[in-house]
Amino acid sequence: MLRLLSFTAFLAIWWGASLLAGGEKLPAPPIVLSAVVAEARSGALFFHLGVTLARVALAFILAMTLGSALGYLMGRVRLADRLGDPWLILLLHLPALVVIVLAYIWAGLTEVAAIAAIAINKLPTAVVTLREGTRTLDATLDEMVAVFAIPRWKAFRHVILPQLAPYLAAAARSGLSLVWKIVLVAELLGRPNGVGFEIGVAFQLFDIPLLLAYSLTFAALVLIIETALVQPIEARLSRWRRRAA
Amino acid sequence: MKPGYPGGGAVQLEVNIASKVYTNAAGKRQEALAGFNFKLNEGEVGVFVGPSGCGKSTMLRIVVGLDPDYQGRVSRPAGAKIGMVFQEPRLLPWRSVEENVRLVAPHVDEATLSVLFGTLGLEAHRSHFPGELSLGLARRVALARAFAVEPDFLILDEPLASLDDALAARLRGQIATLVDSRTVTTLLVTHNVDDAVHLGDRLFFLSQRPSHVIAELPIGTPRTKRGPAEIQRIKTDIARLTLANL
Repeated sequence: MLRLLSFTAFLAIWWGASLLAGGEKLPAPPIVLSAVVAEARSGALFFHLGVTLARVALAFILAMTLGSALGYLMGRVRLADRLGDPWLILLLHLPALVVIVLAYIWAGLTEVAAIAAIAINKLPTAVVTLREGTRTLDATLDEMVAVFAIPRWKAFRHVILPQLAPYLAAAARSGLSLVWKIVLVAELLGRPNGVGFEIGVAFQLFDIPLLLAYSLTFAALVLIIETALVQPIEARLSRWRRRAA
Repeated sequence: MKPGYPGGGAVQLEVNIASKVYTNAAGKRQEALAGFNFKLNEGEVGVFVGPSGCGKSTMLRIVVGLDPDYQGRVSRPAGAKIGMVFQEPRLLPWRSVEENVRLVAPHVDEATLSVLFGTLGLEAHRSHFPGELSLGLARRVALARAFAVEPDFLILDEPLASLDDALAARLRGQIATLVDSRTVTTLLVTHNVDDAVHLGDRLFFLSQRPSHVIAELPIGTPRTKRGPAEIQRIKTDIARLTLANL
């Protein structure tokens, strides 16, 4: 109910701003909607959204897997931490644009370059978050595992992973938003398809309804994935907390 | 009932800790244990009584193999299963009571589990999460977990600390029942003489730091046959022993 109200307010502000600024600069909602419908009819909208989504998924999975593993290693092994730390600081502060441009120069304007560039941008935040999480692991539970001789994999799944769950969730959250933002830049600079490419085209043609049509459907997609996928997973992982007296 | 009791079995555990030295946060070296020696026979309950902070937990950590940094020798049969109750329950808050127990004892069958939960009064709490339990209940879950692995060694680190007297007495009874239900060599650490006289087959009295055994007292009467008079007699023995050693 509140969400609906919030959404209506957004539409109202948009419409009001459009009236004030003039339809040239900010088209009213119905015009953008008709652009969305036209793109959807031709199938282009779904194609470009699908392509972008696939890149997001691949880069996200790659960065989360690699980043979590590295973060865990750096949290557990002091030597790994000291060796990896300078790299981590470098990667954390390297602008996304630099990574993307270099990837395209070195690996060509290819899919691999795009996905690798997006993943590299997300990687360091995942590493940092998981490293912090690993440092907070409860040593007394490690002792319990040792005394009862719980097999390694089982201990990882039932003892370590639940402790890391909030950190994994935080890394996924911040990582997903980062990937959403960067994927469009990567597409704009070096891919012949995807939402970022279409926005680039709209920019060059100064086709503002088209630009908004892609931006807003993309935002809607992010919102749907967030509420339908990310939030339920989070709720499930922290179910034991809520029931606690 | 347990066969060959007490002291009937072969020597099961022999501990000779020559020295255990700590370096504290300020960088000062402190000796926690020095010349800490004892033996326990199969199926015996050894109770260690000593002042707070005398290094009892340090000794237990060495015996179970959590702390390899000491001088001396601990010999116990290879591959012996250990069940331990830590000072704090150390349960997984994200797993239910039953899952916590099954995690360490994947092969435990439903009947054994039922008996165990029944003895400890945990039947109603099987599906609860540890965060929903009182300390007394959480302690009992930790006990259930230690027994579920059907251990050869049972290690109890002040399992009754910070419980009120009535609850402690009840839990003490439950521990006695469980210990007598199978042959398990047990180490119990406590600063409470009541725990010692009710549960022990062999009592060890410890000195201040650096800690070692100053007196050993075997108790001949089985746990179940110790009436109030017998308990009183043991306590008198203890008083005489500890006085003589001070």
